[in-house]
Amino acid sequence: MRSYLAFTKKEFVENVRTYKVMIMAAVFLLLGMMNPITAKITPQLLKEFMPEGIEITITEPTALDSWAQFFKNVPQMGLIVLIIVFSGIMANEFSRGTLINMLTKGLSRSTVILSKFTMAVFMWTGSYVLCFGVSYAYTAYFWTGDGISNIAFSVFCLWLFGILLLAAVMLGSVLFKNSYGCLLFTGGFVVALFLINIVPKLQEYNPIKLASGNMALLTSEMSVSDFTLPIVICCATAAVFIIAAVALFNKKQV
Amino acid sequence: MDTLCIEHLSKNFGSHKVIDDLSFTVPEHAVFGFLGQNGAGKTTTMKMILGLMKPTSGSITVCGEPVCYGQTKSNQYIGYLPDVPEFYGYMKPFEYLKLCGEITGLSAMEIKKKSEELLTLVGLDKANKKIGGFSRGMKQRLGIAQALLNEPKLLVCDEPTSALDPIGRKEILDILCQVKGKTTVVFSTHILSDVERICDRIAILHNGKLALNGMLPFIKEQHKQNGLLIEFASQVDLQQFAASPEVASFITNATKTDTSLVIHTHKIEKTESVVIETLAKKQLLPLKMEVLEPTLESLFMEVVQ
Repeated sequence: MRSYLAFTKKEFVENVRTYKVMIMAAVFLLLGMMNPITAKITPQLLKEFMPEGIEITITEPTALDSWAQFFKNVPQMGLIVLIIVFSGIMANEFSRGTLINMLTKGLSRSTVILSKFTMAVFMWTGSYVLCFGVSYAYTAYFWTGDGISNIAFSVFCLWLFGILLLAAVMLGSVLFKNSYGCLLFTGGFVVALFLINIVPKLQEYNPIKLASGNMALLTSEMSVSDFTLPIVICCATAAVFIIAAVALFNKKQV
Repeated sequence: MDTLCIEHLSKNFGSHKVIDDLSFTVPEHAVFGFLGQNGAGKTTTMKMILGLMKPTSGSITVCGEPVCYGQTKSNQYIGYLPDVPEFYGYMKPFEYLKLCGEITGLSAMEIKKKSEELLTLVGLDKANKKIGGFSRGMKQRLGIAQALLNEPKLLVCDEPTSALDPIGRKEILDILCQVKGKTTVVFSTHILSDVERICDRIAILHNGKLALNGMLPFIKEQHKQNGLLIEFASQVDLQQFAASPEVASFITNATKTDTSLVIHTHKIEKTESVVIETLAKKQLLPLKMEVLEPTLESLFMEVVQ
């Protein structure tokens, strides 16, 4: 337990001093501000760039448009940045051999994986909360929240999907020992989820729903219970990934 | 009690057999020099001792605890210094030792005390900057400090001196000498003078097997070769000397080069007096006359050939 805390603390120091915290905070802060502002100014922009003589009616933007931006930007830009930032989580230690000292000091390999995963989840949560907080504040300032339901649950779903991706990053890192392999694995995993989504029968089980069905939740097209199965499957897959990463790492030559 | 015990250890990389049925023991408080050419399998053996590499067959025991691949229970007795130790470049030496101490389970008090003590021992107590800016020698010294932090019963050093300048090498060897009384040291190298300086036992690894193993003075005694070297200033002198009838019996089994001569004999003193007599009579003045001792270098060459 003590070595877990010590190593997690080391991970935190590493994330701060190698500027990962700063990058994550900056990107997610920017995303958080962009969402409501894009929603607000898009109609004005369109009006400006319309050729003369063409009249279109653009409805006044609402809070829903702001959240539509949030659930478009975070899964696209945010998650990609997240994966890239953490793709070297094991690769750097493998290639430089820094883990050897730690392991020969009696640090167990499962602790390494769990500590790193904990810190990654912590960072993702922090950045995500920051992004959501800023988005929420601006949205509430510009518009009223009429007609929006399940916002907290919808945001939670996307967060959980981020956790699943981080678990995939961990497994990919152990599997390939370098950051490109890790990116390939995680990317491949997401592509596989999209492919599975082609089969209508499997759609209701697919964890990708957690990152794509958010707007439907907000407009009450889907209900919370529609998400039970994807959540269960998402958690189970993440757990399997982490357990597999530990088991594999125990057998890996460092 | 033996600190380290290796029995019938083998390791294959594909079809290539690196370690072949290797067995040896290292008693407590020994300084054990592990010699071998590049690629002889020294690092492989050490990694197997640390459980970082899986042996194909055989067993390793450290302080009575069997070594299991991938698990690190036996590592609590071991301090390890890799050939090129790598640290987290963004940390300072104190922070790094603190991390190491917390991982091994030392108390905060102990960590503080031991870190200060060890950093003074290795001469890094004033180097309060990030490890990223350290020179290779400084990293090597920090490597020793981290290896000694948990007061290991067995200190394993993988070529601790190979990349250092003469001063750095001497300092590292001095540190190893200082800890000799407290812990057992196993260190691999191919710098033979280092071995002669601090080791009391050696083993030479060749073709995956031990070609030589034992106490250093004992091995030297065993391989004594009784040679007498005489070096002349010119070839003419040598020919004159070799032509004299007094030494004719020795010359037959001597090895000659242009200006020097090595006489192999069992009666070294008698030979010496005859040679001196002859030289005096012929007014020949050699540049050098020496009774040959077996050097580690000659032993090494002998066994790896």
